[in-house]
Amino acid sequence: MDTPLREPTFLILTALAGEPLHGYGLIGEVTALSDGRVTLRPGTLYGALDRLVDARLVEVDREEVVDGRLRRYYRLSPAGDATLSAETERLRRNVEAATARLAARSRATRPISPRVVGGLA
Amino acid sequence: MTDLERRYLRLLAAYPADYRRARGAEIVGTYLDLAAPGRRWPSPADAADLLRGGLRQRVRAAGAVDLMPGVRLAATVALLTATTLAGVWVVLELRPAPIAGFGEPTLGPFVSLGIVAWTAWGLAALAHALAPGRWTRRAVALALLLTAALVPAGALTGLPRPPLFVLLPQIGLGLVALGAADRLPASLRAVPLIAAGGAGLLGATLMSRNMFSASYYTWTVVPVLPTAAVVVLALALLLAAGLGLRGDLRGGWALLILLTPVGLLALQPLAGALDTAPVEVVPSWTALAATAVLVALVGPALLPLTLAARSHWARVTQPRRGHLPQ
Repeated sequence: MDTPLREPTFLILTALAGEPLHGYGLIGEVTALSDGRVTLRPGTLYGALDRLVDARLVEVDREEVVDGRLRRYYRLSPAGDATLSAETERLRRNVEAATARLAARSRATRPISPRVVGGLA
Repeated sequence: MTDLERRYLRLLAAYPADYRRARGAEIVGTYLDLAAPGRRWPSPADAADLLRGGLRQRVRAAGAVDLMPGVRLAATVALLTATTLAGVWVVLELRPAPIAGFGEPTLGPFVSLGIVAWTAWGLAALAHALAPGRWTRRAVALALLLTAALVPAGALTGLPRPPLFVLLPQIGLGLVALGAADRLPASLRAVPLIAAGGAGLLGATLMSRNMFSASYYTWTVVPVLPTAAVVVLALALLLAAGLGLRGDLRGGWALLILLTPVGLLALQPLAGALDTAPVEVVPSWTALAATAVLVALVGPALLPLTLAARSHWARVTQPRRGHLPQ
């Protein structure tokens, strides 16, 4: 799978890093992780899961039937764990670099307090 | 089974049959989990999501994973062509014939109503430079609507409009350009805007105000579209061959998608080949109309036919492909 990961893919892998989840659970977890910014619909979610299963980053964990509805649980594979770790490290380094640059910029552009004009007359 | 479940299952027909058997219950179950109590119909957004997902899965089952990148590549070429042509047409619109000399109706200082659509295409090029993705697609959709609206607007107001052999290729290019990518390298974003400006300057040279007033039928203007057809076809062939050598098939898909607009751009020479009457500058209306219908029917059919052939081939050679891996 190409890196950097797209945000929905990153969030799906992050959601599955906690515990195996079924489709409905995954949608809720991705919404919570993104503070409501990313809301996946089932058609989009299962398309993404197909690609992740093909790339061997996600595996089928188990199946259950609840209230007559099939629920298939997915879990992060060892390859998915490695990909998510590498992507998280890449993002962390980017965040650190950006934070350092912004802090330096903030120091450089801080307004200088006006000197007192005149003397001690 | 509830009405809602039955309706979701009906929409699931967008997916290939073998995928429906493997995944259908799971997908519909998730929609039902998400549905508010008492809901009886899928929302339009859910229906669109299912149709999109089904199309994506059919493409995937056909082994055409390069199709969507191909659509985006074709969209980039189509937008570049459409905005470049609009740049030429804006200059033409600024060269109305003097009424006393020619008796041709004009739209004030412009040749025709076309100026409205060509300006919208210029804005689409600007949107592409500033905000690729959703805003570009919206700007393209607006330009496309305005271009198509020129036909009824001309009929209703009695004002002149560009001829159909100019509008049809622009509409064909616009439909392809609706697949514009969300993310593009910064170096590519301004290319349609620069190309439109460059084409405008070239058009100003070709249509010198001192020589004559312009119309879409003058001998310097008529070859613009066939020339564009040759350039776009050559570019698409180069992309298909260059990317194909690296095992990247998106150039091939882009070529297949661009064949329809190329056919519409080449409407005059194609119609001229069909037309039995002697052709002076532009072939007869009936020959142009028959060719346009032929191109509009055959061109778009090539993509689903190729996908069906790929799907059949994929089933024959890899019967298990497209199933959920266990």
